[in-house]
Amino acid sequence: MKLESRNEAETKEIGRRVGRQLKPGDVVCLYGELGSGKTTMVKGIASAFGIDERDITSASFTIIAEYKGATPFYHIDLYRVETERAGELGLDEYLGKGVSVVEWAERAGEEIPEGSIKVRINYAGENARDIIIEGLRLNEID
Amino acid sequence: MLILGIDTSCDDTAASVVEDGAKIISNIVSSQDEVHKKYGGIVPELASRRHIEMILPVVDEALKKAGITFKDISAISVCKGPGLIGSLLVGVCFAKSLSFVHNIPLVAVNHLEGHVFSSFLNGVNPEFPFLALIVSGGHTSLYRVDGFGAYKELGRTRDDAAGEAYDKVAKLLGLGYPGGPIIDHLAQEGTPDAIDFPRAYLPGTSDFSFSGLKTAVKIEVEKIGRLEAEKRLLTSQPLRFSTPAVLNDIAASFQSAVIDVLIGKTVAAAKEQRLNSIALSGGVSANKSLREKITEHAPKEGIKVFLPPLYLCTDNAAMIAAAGFYHFKTGQLADFTLNPEAYLHL
Repeated sequence: MKLESRNEAETKEIGRRVGRQLKPGDVVCLYGELGSGKTTMVKGIASAFGIDERDITSASFTIIAEYKGATPFYHIDLYRVETERAGELGLDEYLGKGVSVVEWAERAGEEIPEGSIKVRINYAGENARDIIIEGLRLNEID
Repeated sequence: MLILGIDTSCDDTAASVVEDGAKIISNIVSSQDEVHKKYGGIVPELASRRHIEMILPVVDEALKKAGITFKDISAISVCKGPGLIGSLLVGVCFAKSLSFVHNIPLVAVNHLEGHVFSSFLNGVNPEFPFLALIVSGGHTSLYRVDGFGAYKELGRTRDDAAGEAYDKVAKLLGLGYPGGPIIDHLAQEGTPDAIDFPRAYLPGTSDFSFSGLKTAVKIEVEKIGRLEAEKRLLTSQPLRFSTPAVLNDIAASFQSAVIDVLIGKTVAAAKEQRLNSIALSGGVSANKSLREKITEHAPKEGIKVFLPPLYLCTDNAAMIAAAGFYHFKTGQLADFTLNPEAYLHL
């Protein structure tokens, strides 16, 4: 399904709706260029798990950020990872355990389990974005 | 009183002996840059493995350089977080073992508290209360410091840390890693107002945001139209500008946007809190232009600036030993149930 976001707040809200549909074990792969709003989307998804959006910041530095909770939440950011090296990260230790959201998922190569949810964020203007979701159907009213 | 400090929070294995929380006797930092350079960033699994290899020789060298043995140590101060959990574990487990075997008291220090204490190792200390700006690749936060152990977070980044924005823009421009020193260097030759990049002041808060600036640089680079942006993002090929001047101008304009916000928000927070001293710390506080500009600007507002020497800006164990000294003096000891935490506020 394709959704349109006019700004950061709407991207966050779509994220929250995605988050509400997720169950333990789910892996969400995020695709989009630098600055498209992937971390903003993660803030929205995380808010559905009771995580304060202020606590979600870029995970590029640490690559894997772990949030304890009823459902463990893993924010993974592969921005700096070379695909051929992704196997050395030990992603299998995380993926499928709680809920994982993976930025720059294309760099994970074969580490991403089959049946993962895919969210693609495309530029549609300076602030507007097209958001394409595969593998998950959002409720109309949520 | 001698304290042995240990820090393994990220990619540097560090040990240091500090006397009375103020005088550095030895300060050893083993950088893992060579290990992580090929990845363009830190790989957590590799970092912790390297810490395991380095922790023993680094602690040994810190004692040897200081000319002391474990008998001379009053307490072991270890960084418990925030940081990479696998890396932190190495330092914490090692410190606990040393404490047990040599029967030396153990104290646990928050890495961010350590950065605040890097201002106390320079001979001239800021007086309480003061404002601390911790700015690095992993953090951009403002604290009100009323005394040892009395910290209040006033604001922090909502997305990218300032140092991370440097790394990302450097990568976008096809420059190397880490991005801070490279951009700082190019910026010296460029015109800071060549491009009017946005400055996110987030009025009404002391929070920071550098993500929008990163996006603006990307859009601007495309507008300049000297490259096929799509191809570059997919292949990470270096940019080829027609003249180096363009690159210098982008670097200078980007850097000026970051520094304007850092200084603007820090000075505003100091005034709002009625604090007349600012202490900087963290890797980005080694940035030449930031150091020059804040030293020039803040005194005009009646605010004194305290800058750590360059070797104390980046991660080190001297700051952990210094902070540990005050924990020890006030009887805040850790025990063998101590566990590291990846996410810790100050």
